[in-house]
Amino acid sequence: MASVTLKEVSKKWGDFTAVDNISLEVGDEEFMVLLGPSGCGKTTTMRMVAGLEEPSNGEIFIGEKRVNDELPKDRDVAMVFQNYGLYPHMTVYENIRYPLKVRKVAKQLQEEQVHIAAEKVQLRHLLQRRPRELSGGQRQRVALARAIVRTPTVFLMDEPLSNLDAKLRVNMRAELKHLQHELKITTIYVTHDQIEAMTLADRVAVMHEGVISQLDSPEKIYNDPANLFVAGFIGSPSMNLIPGSLQEGIFHHSEFSLKTARGDHEKCVMGIRPEDLAITSPGDGIFSGQVYSFELTGESTLITLQLGQERIIVRGTKDFRVGIDEKVGIVLNSENCFLFDAETQQRMKF
Amino acid sequence: MRDRYLKYLFVLPALFVVAATAIWPLYQSFYLSFREWRLNRARESRPLWDYEYDGLENIAYLFDNYIYALEDDLLWNSIRVTSIFTVASVLVSVGLALGLALLLAPGGKFRLTVRTLLILPFAMSPALIGVSWRFMFQPDFGLFKAFFDVLIPPLADVDWLGDTTLAMVALVGSDVWHWTPYLTLVLIGGLATVPQDAREAAMIDGANSWRVFWDVTFPSILPVLAVCLVLKTIFSLKMFDQVYMLTNGGPGNSTQTLAHYIYFNGFKYYNMGYASAVSYLLVIPMFGLTWIYMKLVFLKK
Amino acid sequence: MIFSQSTKKQILDLLQFLMILLAASVILVPIYWIVSGAFKKQVDIFQLKLLFTPTLENFQIIFQDPYDLQEKLLNSTLVAFFTVVIAIPLATMAAYSFSRFRLKGERFMFVTILATQFVPAVVIVLPFFILFRDLGILDTRLALVLVNLSLIMPFAIWMIKGFIDSIPLDTEEAALVDGSSRIQVIINVVVPMVLPGVITAGIFCFILSWNEFLFAVIITTNKAVTLPVGLSMFHAEEGVLWNLISAAGIIIMMPMFVLATLIQRHFVQGMTMGAVR
Repeated sequence: MASVTLKEVSKKWGDFTAVDNISLEVGDEEFMVLLGPSGCGKTTTMRMVAGLEEPSNGEIFIGEKRVNDELPKDRDVAMVFQNYGLYPHMTVYENIRYPLKVRKVAKQLQEEQVHIAAEKVQLRHLLQRRPRELSGGQRQRVALARAIVRTPTVFLMDEPLSNLDAKLRVNMRAELKHLQHELKITTIYVTHDQIEAMTLADRVAVMHEGVISQLDSPEKIYNDPANLFVAGFIGSPSMNLIPGSLQEGIFHHSEFSLKTARGDHEKCVMGIRPEDLAITSPGDGIFSGQVYSFELTGESTLITLQLGQERIIVRGTKDFRVGIDEKVGIVLNSENCFLFDAETQQRMKF
Repeated sequence: MRDRYLKYLFVLPALFVVAATAIWPLYQSFYLSFREWRLNRARESRPLWDYEYDGLENIAYLFDNYIYALEDDLLWNSIRVTSIFTVASVLVSVGLALGLALLLAPGGKFRLTVRTLLILPFAMSPALIGVSWRFMFQPDFGLFKAFFDVLIPPLADVDWLGDTTLAMVALVGSDVWHWTPYLTLVLIGGLATVPQDAREAAMIDGANSWRVFWDVTFPSILPVLAVCLVLKTIFSLKMFDQVYMLTNGGPGNSTQTLAHYIYFNGFKYYNMGYASAVSYLLVIPMFGLTWIYMKLVFLKK
Repeated sequence: MIFSQSTKKQILDLLQFLMILLAASVILVPIYWIVSGAFKKQVDIFQLKLLFTPTLENFQIIFQDPYDLQEKLLNSTLVAFFTVVIAIPLATMAAYSFSRFRLKGERFMFVTILATQFVPAVVIVLPFFILFRDLGILDTRLALVLVNLSLIMPFAIWMIKGFIDSIPLDTEEAALVDGSSRIQVIINVVVPMVLPGVITAGIFCFILSWNEFLFAVIITTNKAVTLPVGLSMFHAEEGVLWNLISAAGIIIMMPMFVLATLIQRHFVQGMTMGAVR
């Protein structure tokens, strides 16, 4: 149990910079999620913590110890791979046992600990099987058991749920959260799925093109995005982003104007989440638009509206119905609006 | 034309060629092994056993060639030579190939460039390889003489090809040179199929490089390795060109492999019947090996 | 001495580099030996000179009386060419059938075809020798092509089948649904896609035939002698004429090196017979 610290860590391959000067501190027992689209550098960052890649610059500390020169096997980390990384020719038992065998733990103890780990992931009945005989979810749990069997200092997880089907993913999320809480091990979790990030993380580091776009708790990431990228990446469906200009506290768009914050800004973007918009009769709202498309998700409805050149999405209740091409009015509360500088991409706060 | 007939039609010409050029000779050889035929004396073969002439009680005559073979010291010598050669060449070439494959498997310009060299020994005529090595071992002006002159003077005056043991070493050497690069390519292909994740998992789990190889990499390439062993054994048993060019069976008979002995009997002594019989002694282990090989390969399908 | 992790790594890397260099040298040395021998005067060879003035006279000599290497060269080329020209189309047809269809007894057929590869050449050549002698075609290129087919045919079938196997069925099935007959599909769809594979197999078989020695040494004596067999004519009273043999060696190996480099990537498929995917 220890913290993980990255100080100005970079990774370059020739001309390409995968990770650009990242500094990050993961607290003891904290569940940190590295979130971002593919290619943003999150996996590379984690692999550097594991020791599978060497940083081009910067330092990595596990606890108080500088680990840049340490081999993976000496860092006392455990990793769950996206494709599980199981040993194909060993049984489940032998897979889970491997970390103990390699560290020459006493045979008696080996057996005990393997059984404890297997119990925790409900695999006791499968110990004699081989990986190829197991389903995806089962293999995933073997990988998990192998990672927890020696109670390492740090847990690293590389998109462990992305190869599971949707239902299984939801179940495993809960299991992972419970497990981490029980074992109290510092965890770094990499994913591109923002729902996983929101549900599992103590803090989220949203990464984009090799840098950390925002580092905050899930609530703040959601309610207080620092820039356009975070605002657009988090939330499903995504936040509506409407370009326009700000003059003397009024946001101007081709279709409407809205009194918001103070200030002037030539090019800016207004952001508002679908659930913060509501539909009313045309003429009653702050502005109006035309229904482009309409989807039932079961627990709500999503209405896509054409607003001049843009399309925005409004979330309605599950009973809400409206026809395509109908003209409707939109209401919102200007306190729920975010304003971003179109050039710097940063959030403008007044 | 319907597929049903077409598919057999397609296979027929090729099958005919194979039957005519490979299967017919096999049958014919078998038949010849029960006859006597000295090509330099007789125009045709003569049966070893004639029902009318020899009578049923002498049917053993039919197997005269085989019986003679079993008592033939030179035959046993060639069996011994072939066994030594095969074991040595297979173990050395596959072992070296594995090592070389591990060295060359990771990417990078340097390694990839060296990999292109691996084709060359295979593309070189084995007869030419025999010639080249014979040249290198030439006691007066061969490469090895120059080499040892500089590095290990006491060895410089040794005539490798004149010494029974060293000639075998030279023969094995030329064969290893011929095949190892090719086997290396095969094993590099095999190494590429080793799951990268499992290797990294082992590194994180606490294994050092040796353990990672032994616990993860090696079990994964075991099937390919097995195929290499069987294939190379078959090729070693077949080997002929290098013996002919490098040592011609000598000095004495110390490098006379079975293939060479058969050649000698058939085309130097013109004893066709006997040569056929001895051939079949070689064919039997070959079929055994082929069967093992098929099992290995078709087991996957 | 205690080394830091990075120094240990550097030493290991250096060792690896040296070993690879060693391997590369070992591969190149016998080749280089022949190449250098080809350009040396006989005198230089006997004196084991490292530095020498290269000469082209060896090449001139071997292409004249009594060696007439150009005849051997012609023989090798023609035999290899015709063997391949006969084998490849037949093999492709058979390979297509094995790959796309189920035939009765296909396992048996396929295994038998492959099994012939493992029989020593010497077993095969004996009956052929007798047959050719009786037919009066010993020492002819025709005879050589016939025996070479025994070597080449199974290889060709098996290699090309591998290539056809790796081409997805979709395009063929789409064409069949669109209304083409099977033969049209083969000509218009399969052949263009499998052409690189067929060419690779063809070149591979050409190399095998060109380098082939046993059949040639037994079947030919004079007129139909091929290049590898020609190597044995450089024995003279004073010993082996190494400079000439080396020059001949260059003629034998250089074209094959060029061809082999061309088809490098597919080479592995050639001999493992499906074991490595």
